[in-house]
Amino acid sequence: MSAAAKAPESLKKNYLTALREALDEEFGANPDALCMGEDIGILGGAFGVTEGLQSKYGKDRVIDMPISEAAIIGAAVGAAMNGKTVVAEMQFIDFISCGFDQIVNMMATYYYRTAGEVNMPVVVRGPAGAYGGGALYHSQMNEAWFCHSPGLRVVCPSTPYDAKGLLKASMRDGNPVIFYEIKELYRQREIEEELPASDYIVPLGQAAVRREGSDVTLVTYGNNVYHCLKAADALAERGVSGEVIDLRTLVPLDETTIFKSLAKTNHVVVVNEAPRTCGFAGEVVARICDSAFDLLDAPPVRVTRLDTPVPWAKPLESFVLPSTEKIVDAALRVVRF
Amino acid sequence: MKSAMKPHPTPGRASEQLTKEDCLEMFRQLYLARYFDVRLIKEKKRGRLRGTLYSSHNQEAIIVGSIFGLRPTDWISPVHRDMPMFFMKDMRAGWRNPDRMGMSIEEVCAQVWCKSGSPGRARDNWSHIGSLEKRIIHSTSMLAGTIPVAAGVVLADRLNGGDAVVLTFNGEGSTAQGIFHEAINYAAIHKLPVITVVENNQWAYGTPVQLEVPTEDVADRAKGYGIPGYIADGQDVFDVYDKVMEAVEYARSGKGPSIVECKTFRAYGHGDHDDDRAAKYRDPHEVEEGRLRDPLAICRRRLIEKSYLTADDAIRFMAEGKSSSEATTEDFPPEVVAYLDEGIRFALASPEPPAEEGGMWVFKESE
Repeated sequence: MSAAAKAPESLKKNYLTALREALDEEFGANPDALCMGEDIGILGGAFGVTEGLQSKYGKDRVIDMPISEAAIIGAAVGAAMNGKTVVAEMQFIDFISCGFDQIVNMMATYYYRTAGEVNMPVVVRGPAGAYGGGALYHSQMNEAWFCHSPGLRVVCPSTPYDAKGLLKASMRDGNPVIFYEIKELYRQREIEEELPASDYIVPLGQAAVRREGSDVTLVTYGNNVYHCLKAADALAERGVSGEVIDLRTLVPLDETTIFKSLAKTNHVVVVNEAPRTCGFAGEVVARICDSAFDLLDAPPVRVTRLDTPVPWAKPLESFVLPSTEKIVDAALRVVRF
Repeated sequence: MKSAMKPHPTPGRASEQLTKEDCLEMFRQLYLARYFDVRLIKEKKRGRLRGTLYSSHNQEAIIVGSIFGLRPTDWISPVHRDMPMFFMKDMRAGWRNPDRMGMSIEEVCAQVWCKSGSPGRARDNWSHIGSLEKRIIHSTSMLAGTIPVAAGVVLADRLNGGDAVVLTFNGEGSTAQGIFHEAINYAAIHKLPVITVVENNQWAYGTPVQLEVPTEDVADRAKGYGIPGYIADGQDVFDVYDKVMEAVEYARSGKGPSIVECKTFRAYGHGDHDDDRAAKYRDPHEVEEGRLRDPLAICRRRLIEKSYLTADDAIRFMAEGKSSSEATTEDFPPEVVAYLDEGIRFALASPEPPAEEGGMWVFKESE
């Protein structure tokens, strides 16, 4: 992100454009790549991620589907088992629940139950996350459902560079991937950055240290990367040095980067936007306790959404979601334990 | 059952093109499917098998009649009551032909015996196997859940310039699933060659068809998608063949999907665990009437009418009407018994999968 500041304005790309470039480049390189979803062809997607792809690659490869998430994912599974690489768009990741059975029982298990006979190169991607007034059904982060279903990769980029590199890596991985795009970041100007002109990927399963620090590690992903960075600024003013880790991929989880940071800071706050109970932050805390308990000087703390849906009105939404202030408070509690 | 009792005469039937050898082969395949069922239930009662058996007894005409006319390159997506289908696909190419587009009896028996010789290395039970190479879609317990998968498979096939069709098999109960609607709706819009065969055996586990389907015929569901809904007498292998071949021709010519309802009757319980209870929750008269039209007997009658079976040959092996405990090996042609014996011998000799395989193949590792 520091490179972004130096790049000329015109060359900078937003998160959404980065995603579209990833699809475009992979479609160009792989004639077996397809995408299926609601309103993705004629319209170019509700948010415009697939804009221009149908006219470039045709209706056979950019397929407008009826409002049938289960059929979209099921057909993606079938096409993938017969040699295609399929990107299935959920118009909002909230609607993925309508295709849940096809994901967890059909797609996630195919490689396992066939003892490696059938690969599943399918990426189910869609806009996710709160903070934009989307209310109950346009704000969800439901990644924990899929982290709990063996056989699925779960990915969540927070920058344009990662959005492109992780989507390309996901399409080449050969395993089914649930890909969480943060819709509040789609067109956010502050995070635009220049992308490499040549082909690149961001390998799955590698976290990124977004800010180095020595007193407390803030582990997070998605939109909360930015809340954590702001929290680290605020903590610095109070003489506390925060390190921010962006997980980028939840499954597989890069434990090494977390433990390396803990060896330095000995304090940890884990932040996720989803509800608290059985959320991914809980899993991160459990892994730390399993394998790195000796590194801790204080009990790990989670900052999560309350165990509620995401409400509509701004004060209600802010009340239930993690915020910079809540992260700062948690970090101070941990370092002062 | 009312409709199943009606004759379904179709002028210009595909089955009229079948040779004598074809017809006799279909009859042998009916015996084979029946013997597979009878024999496995005997084995289970001796305590030799793990898990539940889902009997295809009385529904064999659907298994044989549906797939007999397929091309080797066509796909099938069987459901739990279609176990013989896995080794009967493309069986016309020779029962023991290793290159035919179906599984071997050895592979299927290894699956039933839960052994590592199974195509899925015994990772999931009973009918939950398949083969990309042989073009058999792996079944799961989520009923109707493979219909969209089948649609995706033939979509990919069509994009690759192929003209394969897919037959998906489902009970009448699974037509109540939301995915049944989503998948056929999608296939109809995109005119994908997906043929949904509905084995209407009148009972979805412990629930009668009247509580699963609001119309007289399941085939009526086709109207909502603007696609053909065929009805076959599921006890008559030639009628099933005719209706499915009509659907196959329709699909292969690019016109799209269809539903073929085969009227039949589930002779025993949902699975072997349910046989005793099924004898109580179903009216004995209904069961008696449902078992009356045995597909073996109906096929035999047709072959006698055509003079393909005469004199002693016509009555040499009389398995019809016999339960698994009543039937013996004497009731089946020796080549049928021998074929299954070979499969079982292989299964018994096949080792159990090593324990650590339980943790393998969750993810494909990058190359």
